[in-house]
Amino acid sequence: MGRYLRLFGAFARIGLANEMAFRANFLMKMAVEALWLGILLLFYDVLFRSMGGGTVAGWDRYGYLFFVGCNYALSGVVETFFLENCTALSDLVRSGDLDQYLLKPIDEQFLVTCRHIDWSTFPNVVQGAGVMLYAMAALHWPAHLTQVIAFVVLFFCGVAMAYSFLLLLCSASVWMVRNQSLVEMWWLFTTLMRYPRELFHGTWVSPIGMFFTYVVPVLLIINVPATIMVRGLDPWFAGFALFAAVVLLILSRQVFRLALRSYRSASS
Amino acid sequence: MAYRGDFLIGTFLRFLPVLTTVLLWTAVYVGKTDGDTIAGFDLHQMIAYLLLIHISRMFSSMPGLAGGIARDIRDGSLKKYLVQPLDMIGYLLAYRVAHKTAYIVTSALPYALLFFLAREHFGSWGGWQAMPAYALSLLFAFLIGFFFEAMIGLAGFWLLEVTSIIWIITTLNYFISGQMFPLDVLREHYPVVHAILGWLPFKYIAYFPAMVFLGKISGPQLLRELLIETAWVVMLILLTRWLYSAGLRRYSAFGG
Repeated sequence: MGRYLRLFGAFARIGLANEMAFRANFLMKMAVEALWLGILLLFYDVLFRSMGGGTVAGWDRYGYLFFVGCNYALSGVVETFFLENCTALSDLVRSGDLDQYLLKPIDEQFLVTCRHIDWSTFPNVVQGAGVMLYAMAALHWPAHLTQVIAFVVLFFCGVAMAYSFLLLLCSASVWMVRNQSLVEMWWLFTTLMRYPRELFHGTWVSPIGMFFTYVVPVLLIINVPATIMVRGLDPWFAGFALFAAVVLLILSRQVFRLALRSYRSASS
Repeated sequence: MAYRGDFLIGTFLRFLPVLTTVLLWTAVYVGKTDGDTIAGFDLHQMIAYLLLIHISRMFSSMPGLAGGIARDIRDGSLKKYLVQPLDMIGYLLAYRVAHKTAYIVTSALPYALLFFLAREHFGSWGGWQAMPAYALSLLFAFLIGFFFEAMIGLAGFWLLEVTSIIWIITTLNYFISGQMFPLDVLREHYPVVHAILGWLPFKYIAYFPAMVFLGKISGPQLLRELLIETAWVVMLILLTRWLYSAGLRRYSAFGG
């Protein structure tokens, strides 16, 4: 364990050094992300103002804002630590460069999915946290300490689920080999976690909502932690999210290993 | 078709944002406490508008154009156009027209299916008499999209790094061209922003064609808008030509 932590620390330092070599680029990316968040906030501001104080699927203005912040922060964590690594997997397979990682005396999954930390998206986490704090302040801090603790735990469950889905997607790409933009695929897939679960309500969308809650539980990722803070603890859903996170972590690891087994080094 | 599984998943995923957008707006209209319309749009018109944006963007989006021009300028491969009796802008335009035609033809089927499924939302539209103006607005959307992007790319003659400008513009574009919601929604709560965006050319690449299709802009207003749009197209063409010739004068074709 200590060895992995040390390695992770080294990855983080190297990543930061890389980023700092191109400081202007780093600042620019940050500015673009801030701009994007600004547009998003403006969008929801206009939306809620045009509604005359109504709610979107039971989420009032600041509750929804908290949801948006939570999504921004969680996506930021996934993008910083895992996105680039996982989407590079199919390239490693195609080029045969995966060999050099498999030869290292360390867990392959750890090495492949954590080796590069992209600090340029880390400010998103901070910006998302800022939005969450602002929303909480506007709601006059409705949460107890137990809720906050549950939120933190479930936030990391959300990260674990998102990571597992990402790993599953990228492992699948090993078989398909064609490297259709995985980043785009991932972005499209995550549209599902960006909205409250309650939106999936209606004769033909309810089953879709059920499917993405219980079978492919992508809707739990943001919904469970955000709901806990805004509306209070729902032990059944919290427990289910915890369970889903563990199952997904195990499943994605198995699929990743299976994918590696079918890998035949391609190049010299 | 060699990768059918991939293709199916890709098509399914591409429809997800459409689904979630429709669900979000449905919830917004259900949750509204004051009346049934937002800025004159009822739910059906709003959904129709957001679907029509996809058609506008099919014509006006130019992925990789500005970046490609800037790269050619930076690494010196621009000279492949200079040594041939070939105008770069003309060549790129012809290339885009061909590319867009192929793209629109191949995606016609999924979009036809989507619009068929969503047909209940198209109860009110501009009618057939609006269609010539709609076709014209799409053509102009293509031209404005092309020449604006080309202009950004040509800034590469003076600036070493244009990718960051491209990022910012792409991000902003999403909002100022009316891809998030019809710009009219801004009128009540952000009148200044609404007025400024009304004067900029970006609304013609997404907002305007959709509004023409829905018949929300018609008669003398439509004529006036089309005239202003023509002026923008001419101005952008002239500006691009001028930037190109001015840029070539500074250009020194390093590398190869």
